[in-house]
Amino acid sequence: MKGSPRLRALILIAPLLFFLGLFFVWPLITVITQSVSDPAVSRVLPRTADLIGDWDGEGAPSAEIQAAFRADIVGATDDQAVGDVTRRLNSSKSGFRSLMGKTVTAVRENPDVDLAEVDKRWADPAFWKAIQDNASPYTDSFLLAAVDMERDSAGSVVAMKEGTSANFTILMRTLWTSALVMLCCLVIGLPYAMIAASVTGWKRAVLLGAVLLPLWTSLLVRTAAWMIILQDNGIINQVLTGLGITSGPLALIYNRFGVVLAMTHVLLPFMVLPIYSVLITVPGNLMSAAASLGAHPIRAFLRVLLPLSLRGVISGALLVFMTSIGYYITPALLGGAGDQMISSVIAEYATRSANWSMAAAIGLILLVLTLALYAVYNRLSRDPIQAR
Amino acid sequence: MMKYAKAIYATLIVVFLLSPLLVILPLAFTSSAFLTYPIPAFSTRWFEELVINSVWSRAIVNSLIIALATTALATVLGTLAALGLRSQDLGMKSQIRTLFLLPMVVPAVVLGVGMQALFVRLGFNSTYWSVIIAHTVVAMPFVVISVSGALTGIDRRVERAAESLGAPPWKVFSLVTLPLAMPGVLSGGALAFATSLDEVVLTLFVAGPNQRTLARQMFSTLRENISPAIASAAFIIIVGTVVIAAVLMLSRRKKA
Amino acid sequence: MSENFIRFQKVTKDYGTVRVVEDLDLDIARGEFVSLLGPSGSGKTTLLMMLAGFETVSAGAIVLDGQKINDLPTYKRDMGVVFQNYALFPHMSIAKNVAFPLDMRGTARAETAERVQKALDMVQLGHLADRLPGQLSGGQQQRVALARALVFEPRVVLMDEPLGALDKQLREQMQLDIRDLHHRLGLTIIFVTHDQDEALTMSDRIAVFNHGQIQQCASPREVYDHPANRFVAEFIGETNLLEGTVSAISGETLTLTLPGGASFQSHGLPGFSTGDKGLLSLRPERIDIYPQGEAPAGVNTLAGEVTDTVYQGDHLRVVIETAAGRIIARINRKVSEWENGAKVSLGFRAQDGWVIAP
Repeated sequence: MKGSPRLRALILIAPLLFFLGLFFVWPLITVITQSVSDPAVSRVLPRTADLIGDWDGEGAPSAEIQAAFRADIVGATDDQAVGDVTRRLNSSKSGFRSLMGKTVTAVRENPDVDLAEVDKRWADPAFWKAIQDNASPYTDSFLLAAVDMERDSAGSVVAMKEGTSANFTILMRTLWTSALVMLCCLVIGLPYAMIAASVTGWKRAVLLGAVLLPLWTSLLVRTAAWMIILQDNGIINQVLTGLGITSGPLALIYNRFGVVLAMTHVLLPFMVLPIYSVLITVPGNLMSAAASLGAHPIRAFLRVLLPLSLRGVISGALLVFMTSIGYYITPALLGGAGDQMISSVIAEYATRSANWSMAAAIGLILLVLTLALYAVYNRLSRDPIQAR
Repeated sequence: MMKYAKAIYATLIVVFLLSPLLVILPLAFTSSAFLTYPIPAFSTRWFEELVINSVWSRAIVNSLIIALATTALATVLGTLAALGLRSQDLGMKSQIRTLFLLPMVVPAVVLGVGMQALFVRLGFNSTYWSVIIAHTVVAMPFVVISVSGALTGIDRRVERAAESLGAPPWKVFSLVTLPLAMPGVLSGGALAFATSLDEVVLTLFVAGPNQRTLARQMFSTLRENISPAIASAAFIIIVGTVVIAAVLMLSRRKKA
Repeated sequence: MSENFIRFQKVTKDYGTVRVVEDLDLDIARGEFVSLLGPSGSGKTTLLMMLAGFETVSAGAIVLDGQKINDLPTYKRDMGVVFQNYALFPHMSIAKNVAFPLDMRGTARAETAERVQKALDMVQLGHLADRLPGQLSGGQQQRVALARALVFEPRVVLMDEPLGALDKQLREQMQLDIRDLHHRLGLTIIFVTHDQDEALTMSDRIAVFNHGQIQQCASPREVYDHPANRFVAEFIGETNLLEGTVSAISGETLTLTLPGGASFQSHGLPGFSTGDKGLLSLRPERIDIYPQGEAPAGVNTLAGEVTDTVYQGDHLRVVIETAAGRIIARINRKVSEWENGAKVSLGFRAQDGWVIAP
């Protein structure tokens, strides 16, 4: 009678679903596959990779596997890809570099040559073992490396040698900085939200406007403003030295202080607004009611107002924490080398060293962490209207 | 006593919140080559720099092209989706809504890595399209939220009234639903525009040297040498945002 | 044909497992004013929404002017609907609102302007044509909604509690206005309300709803004086209910004997047999109060004692404790005043009582 309303709704959301599937979900899936995929060997040696999994690791592999290996080498025409494979195998078992060079030349001349005759090392199972270990198109080595772990030669997971990688340290630093920002936002934001909810008229308008205005202005502009304020010849240092309080400029920028201060400023609205929106639903005379029942103001606050605002506090805290662990711009601009957060590491791997698998692996950890926090946030803050 | 403490505290935080904006705006007009106070003399030399220096002017043009295209794409997709989400008969509605809001949640760097990998493979990274698409993904949630909000404000009975008065479904939509949702569509579009204008992280991954945007240019200038051109660019962004917000407020007030 | 302009035939509406309207039959004649009256959730609004085409019919048929309209889209039904919250288009001027149905029908511009002006003049709002709905008072908005629903001369006018949001005085004025329009234009109006006074004032017939079924559909006088069952008797107006056994039947007069031995002569529903249980419905204003033993001959009498009197301006509400239980009477203050504790005799005529099934 009205077309099918369900069909009409589907047609309306289909373009966005399609768009997001293509340009949002697929990129994230790319991150996931990139972080666990290691196709260097299996792409160049597909037949060998197919068969060598069945090899028991004792003695030289069967003639069938050796034939597959020779066929793969004949088929591998991309010398750069072959070079990649050689490098990979060499890092598992040294000696592969010279072995591969020799073998490739020999097999290309005579595809049916006996490998053990080309080089006696092919009779050593250790070299075949290296191929077997690297044959799988999937690997957990990047994910392990993202938290400073690796597999030893026996295949069990162990911590990397100290000093070889700082990923885990930076991950912990990210969590710690975010927690600090969250705490600052809470300490500043909770009383502020309570005051904003307790006043009316122009006062409330000013207090809310002061929160909303920064939210609407560019993040980049706000970060730039903090750089101007905090720099060595910025306003604060000028005032301090001008008044003779300090003899030289204080280091306010390119350190943890600057990062936390600016991020607190940027994220404060995310703390204030959820608390405020919970508090304005609390009847204004509740505190008076508590007082009339004989509660001291501080007691009334602790027993009445604080529990009521708890839902807003938790929402706000989660929101701030979740947003700050993924922050890139503010730490990148205001932090020193020792203040970089996990996002900077990802960007570094991706843009500077073009190590996509590492970037994706660390990115996956950040993604999972963020989505888990969001799931909690979503469950907590879901109101009946939205759930309908 | 308690009252004064409250007032002082609130004032301090308001100053904390607003001071960065108040500090950066006057510096747009400094005559000095440094972004410091006191300002020796007022001048518009840094605005001229934005126009004359081709790096900046090109970035401004790029930002406008990309932000306008993003606004158009995000507004159309987001508005349609918000209309679809309004239906009572749609299954998995809250899951779909969550998916639509997720781009606001996923860390930009992670999304950027994925987008770059995918766009390179699809062969259109470092084009205007790659930037516009990336910006649309993160700008679209604002449109969905804003239009959904406007739609829930529409009384179903008004649409029913139109239908009973002889309007077929598409006329109900074009004469009643859409005009009433228009404020939401407009503010969603404005938010999408502002989001695109301010986007840096995804741009770092998916844009080539030819798609350098204003925000991207500001970011690298801030990293390398802080020039007052930053303050002028910030001034343009802030004033642009305020103008858009004011226009929206006025158009909404007229309706109400 | 005019007898059965609108027919509901075994109409049923289910929402999931909940049945809101059940096997409902109702015929409405052309030019009739029918009120659908009932408590909220009784199915009256659902029935109206099905007639307007906003809700589908689960089973049964709705027939308009000989044509089954179950599957006809709303916009082709040609019915003017007036909603409780007016449902004016907030972004269109008053004149544009009223012109909307004419525009939908492709009416020529000059004719549209003329008819809009006429419709607005009819509701005395011609001077506000250029305002937006938000600038009008509630009463004015409802009159615009009325003009908009009437301007295209619909086959039927449906009103869903249209006066519910107005204050009492305005509501009573609008009731008279709508009744006047009904007579003047010969409109067929179906009017949903939960306000019994409104239904009694305006309707040719009232359909009383409960649990998705029509309990009684009759003229206001009939529904009030001769309720079909206990629900109708209690829902419309105030009543005293006395339970007893039918001990004799003579023409339209029944004799009802109460457990305490007292017996009354009363009219009642047809179909009673001697020995049936019966319920005497006695409206408070039909009861007269006399000093004990002074009731005139030929009326039913019942002795009692006044336990409470409530002054209500134009009348006095008197609570009397009797052997048959507590009786409420409403008396004109010009006739008499009663003190608490006064010993009295109650009296009522056979035609003032009505016996229904318990």
